[in-house]
Amino acid sequence: MHVFFVKEAWRSFRQHRGLGMTAIFSLTAALTLSGLFVLLSHNADNALKWVGDRREMVVYLKDDTTDSRRAALIESLTRLYGTTTYVSREQAWKEFSEQIGDPVLLEAVGSNPLPASLRVRLRPELLNAASMEEAARQVAQFTEVEDVRYGAEWVRRLDDLGAGLRRGTLAVGVLVALAIVFVIYNTLRLTVLARRQQVEIMSRLGATDRFIATPFVIEAMFEAALAALLSLGVLLTFKQAVSAQVTGVVFLPALGSLAFLGVAVALAWLASLIALSRVLRAVGP
Amino acid sequence: MITFEQVTKRYGGRLALDAVSWHMDEGECVVFLGPSGAGKTTVLRLITHEIQPSTGSVTVGTFRTGRLTRSQRALLRRTLGIIYEDFRLLHDRTVFENVALAVRIVGRFAESDIGPRVRTALEEVGLNGMESAFPAELSAGEKQRAAIARAIVNRPAVVLADEPTGALEAESAADVLRLLKTIHLEGAAVLLVTTREEVAAAVPGRVLRLVDGKLIEGAPAPAAGVTPIAAAAPIPPPDIAETGVAPASATG
Repeated sequence: MHVFFVKEAWRSFRQHRGLGMTAIFSLTAALTLSGLFVLLSHNADNALKWVGDRREMVVYLKDDTTDSRRAALIESLTRLYGTTTYVSREQAWKEFSEQIGDPVLLEAVGSNPLPASLRVRLRPELLNAASMEEAARQVAQFTEVEDVRYGAEWVRRLDDLGAGLRRGTLAVGVLVALAIVFVIYNTLRLTVLARRQQVEIMSRLGATDRFIATPFVIEAMFEAALAALLSLGVLLTFKQAVSAQVTGVVFLPALGSLAFLGVAVALAWLASLIALSRVLRAVGP
Repeated sequence: MITFEQVTKRYGGRLALDAVSWHMDEGECVVFLGPSGAGKTTVLRLITHEIQPSTGSVTVGTFRTGRLTRSQRALLRRTLGIIYEDFRLLHDRTVFENVALAVRIVGRFAESDIGPRVRTALEEVGLNGMESAFPAELSAGEKQRAAIARAIVNRPAVVLADEPTGALEAESAADVLRLLKTIHLEGAAVLLVTTREEVAAAVPGRVLRLVDGKLIEGAPAPAAGVTPIAAAAPIPPPDIAETGVAPASATG
């Protein structure tokens, strides 16, 4: 019976190729637009993650901190916030010297003014502005701590950028979902009306709505799947073209591509159910 | 089997049926005879639940009008075999596929049983060897025989025929009427609707005359209190209703 429904769907598609192709191209355009945003968001996310992974908190120690208290502090910070490494005054000076490079300038600074510090690579769940602010506040309360720096403003901007991209992707996603539902709904309406005589005859023979609708639903899902594959092809071509100019651009992961296809097919299924529940009532005797 | 009780049907201001009451038993043959616009097709459409009576009630088997959901209505139609004047075959399918569609819709048979069942029906109507022909390749008589094969392939309890010879020349019309007689003799109830006296005379059934929506000759309304077949009975579960009361003498 399932083979029968698939054959019926294919028959319908072949007989109304014009309608089917129009639907496929419209869906491809909508899905490509959405996919472009998903791809952009995915790459931006990757970049943000890369940058975010380098976020760290620098805890400056008081000069009179003993080795044992420093070791205890390192243990506490590691346990509570993330991997903590000690940077001695000498090491800090060495790094500073390498960054400045100019011996004249270094001579002007005179003796090493830099304090010893601890660098805390925060756990992933703390890599956001609110959590970092709270962590910094807590760390500052340790008696050995002189000051805590984590680039609050920079972290906040990074978070805002990430949130903006996610909101944009969601908004475009919702718009495209509505566009898909609209395209499928109208295509199916036209297809059913074009096959009105068949629907009427089947209804008179006692076919249930489900029996009549199933081939149309399969046809809509097939069109959406084809459109999603075409769209992924366009996106891959676009990504290859951009990769030639910009390094580090990546395509959607296999699971993401599969999800993209799945969402398109699921939306087609939903739209066809909505369309058919209305259209069959209007057409069937 | 089929009961109309004081059924009136109006299309807007036009009266199509006027307080019509009649009853048809299992295995019976009834002919509705009357001129165009008398209300004959309205009778059929009420039976198939395409339309609802304005007043009165229509009972078909255990189904009573006014209470059916869309799936129950589909179930009711699956217990009937319907033949139309204009055949209503699907033009993009072969004769075999047209008949097989009715079997698939009923959904009681395995895929492997569909072929033999369809071939038996086609053989009964004399269309063996024409399985792969498309309707456009058939004569009017052959089309109607294909439509009859589709109507009887599921062995329905009732076959409804709406002017089945209307589009046929004399010889094909005679063939079709012979087929209907055979179907009736094998045990199915046949309800035939026609404008032609000679068609009514050719079928061995009770003739009910309809003129201007009124039943002017034929069986009276069923006696009070003898409302047959579960006028008040609940709708049965689908598996019971769907069995379609196939006559014992019918094949398949």
